[in-house]
Amino acid sequence: MTLEFKRGVIAFLSAAFLVSLLFVQWREVSRRAEESGHVKPHINVPAASKACVDCHLQSTPGLVAHWTGSKHAERGVGCLECHEAQKGEVDGFDHYGPHIATVVTPSDCARCHTEVAAEFGRSHHAKGGNILASLDNFLAEVVEGNRGPIALNSPTPGRAFVHANGMSSANTGCQQCHGAKVGLESSDGGILTVDDFKPGPDGKPTNLDAVARIVKDQNGRPKFASSTWPNTGIGRINLDGSLGSCSACHSRHDFSPRRARQPENCGKCHLGPDHPQKEIYEESKHGVAFRDLLHEMNLDADEWVLGKDYTGAPTCASCHMSGNVRNGGRITHDPGERISWTNRPPVSLAMDTDLDHKIVGETDPEKRRALVNDTWEAKRTRMQEVCSVCHSAEYVNGFYKQYDDFVVLYNEKFAKPGQRMMKALVDNGLRTKADFDEQVEWTWYYLWHHEGRRARHGASMMAPDYAHWHGMFEVAERFYMELIPQVRELAEHGREQGKIAEADAVLSVVNEILARPEHQWYERDLAKMRAERGKEPK
Amino acid sequence: MHTPERPPQPQPPPEGHDSGNPPDRRSFLARASSMGMIAGLGASYGTAGLYAARYLYPSKPRDKAWMFVARIADVAVGGSLRYTTPGGEKVALARQGSAGTVEDFVALSSTCPHLGCQVHWESQNQRFFCPCHNGAFDKSGKGISGPPGDAGQSLPRYPLRVEGGLLYIEVPTESLEVADASAPREGHDPCLDGGAPL
Amino acid sequence: MSLSPLTWIRERVPVGPEQLRELTNEPVPNHLKKWWWCLGGTPAYLFVVQIVTGILLAFYYKPSPQTAYESVRYITEEASFGWFLRGLHKWAATMMVAAVVLHQMRIFFTGAYRKPRELNWLVGMCLLLLTLIVGFTGYSLVYEQLSYWGATVGANITDSVPVVGVYLKELLLGGEVYNENTLSRFFILHAAVLPVTMAALIALHVTLIRLQGVTEFHFRDEDRKKPAFFNFFPDHLLTELSIGLVLMVLLSVLATVLPAEMGPKADPLSTPEVIKPEWFFYVAFRWLKLFSGTLAVLSMGLIVFLMYAWPFIDARIRRSRPESEASVWIGVAGALAIIALTVWEASVAH
Repeated sequence: MTLEFKRGVIAFLSAAFLVSLLFVQWREVSRRAEESGHVKPHINVPAASKACVDCHLQSTPGLVAHWTGSKHAERGVGCLECHEAQKGEVDGFDHYGPHIATVVTPSDCARCHTEVAAEFGRSHHAKGGNILASLDNFLAEVVEGNRGPIALNSPTPGRAFVHANGMSSANTGCQQCHGAKVGLESSDGGILTVDDFKPGPDGKPTNLDAVARIVKDQNGRPKFASSTWPNTGIGRINLDGSLGSCSACHSRHDFSPRRARQPENCGKCHLGPDHPQKEIYEESKHGVAFRDLLHEMNLDADEWVLGKDYTGAPTCASCHMSGNVRNGGRITHDPGERISWTNRPPVSLAMDTDLDHKIVGETDPEKRRALVNDTWEAKRTRMQEVCSVCHSAEYVNGFYKQYDDFVVLYNEKFAKPGQRMMKALVDNGLRTKADFDEQVEWTWYYLWHHEGRRARHGASMMAPDYAHWHGMFEVAERFYMELIPQVRELAEHGREQGKIAEADAVLSVVNEILARPEHQWYERDLAKMRAERGKEPK
Repeated sequence: MHTPERPPQPQPPPEGHDSGNPPDRRSFLARASSMGMIAGLGASYGTAGLYAARYLYPSKPRDKAWMFVARIADVAVGGSLRYTTPGGEKVALARQGSAGTVEDFVALSSTCPHLGCQVHWESQNQRFFCPCHNGAFDKSGKGISGPPGDAGQSLPRYPLRVEGGLLYIEVPTESLEVADASAPREGHDPCLDGGAPL
Repeated sequence: MSLSPLTWIRERVPVGPEQLRELTNEPVPNHLKKWWWCLGGTPAYLFVVQIVTGILLAFYYKPSPQTAYESVRYITEEASFGWFLRGLHKWAATMMVAAVVLHQMRIFFTGAYRKPRELNWLVGMCLLLLTLIVGFTGYSLVYEQLSYWGATVGANITDSVPVVGVYLKELLLGGEVYNENTLSRFFILHAAVLPVTMAALIALHVTLIRLQGVTEFHFRDEDRKKPAFFNFFPDHLLTELSIGLVLMVLLSVLATVLPAEMGPKADPLSTPEVIKPEWFFYVAFRWLKLFSGTLAVLSMGLIVFLMYAWPFIDARIRRSRPESEASVWIGVAGALAIIALTVWEASVAH
């Protein structure tokens, strides 16, 4: 082998080496490019919260991990920005240096998210805690439980209970959706709430007498009444007088917009026999498309504007809260702003609201116009903006015609007559004023609160099975097969007890209703049959 | 150094056995192959050397992040506050205007522009003082004596941003200062008692 | 008076091209014109690659249980070309073990260890063992599950050496068990003590070759009249350069296509289901499974001793039976045994 040849071999091998190095360079570049999209933003713990994070990494690592994945963490909002309390707040305590409070209320969030908190404060959501003195709460507190401890029937082997907590169905069932009235333990054995502290506009208590009664542990930390905390009900009544809980939808501690955008989030409360919005949504074309096109939903988008960031399907949030290209991307935290019918009460009402965002009950047109601040038409227009991102005007108007027709049918054929009969019974002293102590009251409650709502919600969100089989079909059965017979039975029962005029009054209401053309089918053949039977010789 | 029992070396052996080529062609071949070899070796090993140098050079600039500082409504006009970066550096932040925009605010670094030492605030003299070479700066960060005063240097300013009524600052997030997590804190050890008993 | 830079240097360092030529002009036997006789240069070349890439890796590596894994991750994922350098270092280590073993087999089967080169065989044996130990300590530095448990098992094997084993183990680990001091020990062994020792032994190895000359080896069909030697410079140097380039191409392709990856971080509380050392320890690993603790270690020590002593044993055999082919048969048997044990270990999980 000549030296020249060897040198040639070396030149050739050098070239091969160079090529392999270029391949290495290509790999390095493509690796960097690949990583640049995938690397999670680096989280920097704000100096003020560093001690919190160091310690909670050991005591509650999951909590810190959630925060680490949040937008707050990305932008330098740490623990104290939300949890820091001012001296004088009733639930504030010194925690290894900083003065903090456990419960973060909408007033805390409002320090930065001012507008959002204001919108939320106007919403029906924020008033969810008002249920605490309503018909539904009567069910949980009295019918299902007891306003006070319940004595034991017999001991539970292995456990040493003293009595049953009569309020636990209300605490666990009602208040985890509607919101509890957060309370602190009082030295007199009771519970101190916002009613006792009487906070001023700054959220600090004005009744220092109540403050003096707060029970604290050996570290000076006030004790929460366990029946009221933990609680993330959306209408929580907080110690500082604020209403609501942002974590009801924006779970702590990652405050994930992504999660709040998904139907499962609303489904924590909006489901079940009385208002199955979540199931209705799943049955609808919207829900079906969402499940299918989940990967196109762009749920992590910053603004998440329908028609710009995604078009796959609308979720609960898309229609009721989020921005869209037709409204300039405007988001609202008051889901009532786009709802034109309220299907909550026995008879659906048009959503004409006054300055306090309450539904106007006034019937006189002149006075009504003066009271109404935001009309149902304005609300419907806002919703139709959402619809029109995907649907033509004709299509949208057609849908709303069908929806209106359905609600009015329910109102006129079943709800108003039912309401009238129930009123006639009370007015004539044929049923007690107490709720749920007579069968007819359960029947009526089922009719409007469960079946009637299912029907109307089914119609409002395009779920035919809920509109019909779970809805109007059961409404009709309840009306004809239970409500009317039970009302008549109560009237006959009254007559037997000598309340003849009252019984006649109630029966005439029933007959008046059944004489209307839409009900005539019901007893036409029965009457014929009875008449024929009457002719027969006995 | 040859081993003694070896026969004496022949003269450098003829370069190759294919001696049919004329001498000038052979010398051309020799030169060309040498050049090719040297160029190839230089290019390939040189590239490998460049990679090594790139490896040793820092792979990315110092990490910075936009951090939340305060709501602008909480900083009074004419007021100031101390912000501590995640790396532990102290930032003097002052509000000088009432427009509610980013121009209202000034955030001074505590790193001396002269040779990088840390300055500290001397309240009795109303100045920032650098212990390395007796540099001093006034409240606004302007050098007033020592080397920074002579060179007309001021304390560097951090970039600020106002968004939705909130003030953000862009600061480096790493430093050699490592918070000692095991250092005793006030009161009992939080990590041991873990709050209320379960 | 102007002087050329060359003259200036020559005046201060009085060595001319003639002396340099004399120094490097090792007469190289003709059989080295055949490429496959050049295995001795290969480990030397790879040793240089390891020194260079090792120094580069040490710029970022931090030897402590808290930082080691993270720093290797930094090299692999964040530093520019770090993954490539780590890949080169890993593959060059593997190839170096292979090259040393092949070189030794060539020496063995050609009888190149015989008088007067017995001493160089001893040096070579030392280099073989050092190569293996450097491989072992280097693998431990990554501080991933397998390297952690490999180190633990390795240290406990030394424990089964009678009498001194327990001291050896504690000396190696810097404590009774793997602890805070262990990694820095392994690091200083891997990056300073062992490589410097190896460099010194390689220098001795080459000096001995230079003094004794390379064993001449004649093929039967060779033309006796042709010169038996050719010059190291530049002819053989070019051969070595080519081999170096082939190695570099091979290494970069391996480092790119089969890059050095990272296993799960070491967890001193849970041993992985399957633990294996690097492939070049498969033989020893299988041997340890075949015999119980002390017996296995002692028998292994005996084998290593016999390998060291082989030139003298061989001389004794040849003195009594000059035409004996015993060395070839023993070599073949040994090589087959090594291959068989390695394959066995590779093909089973436990």
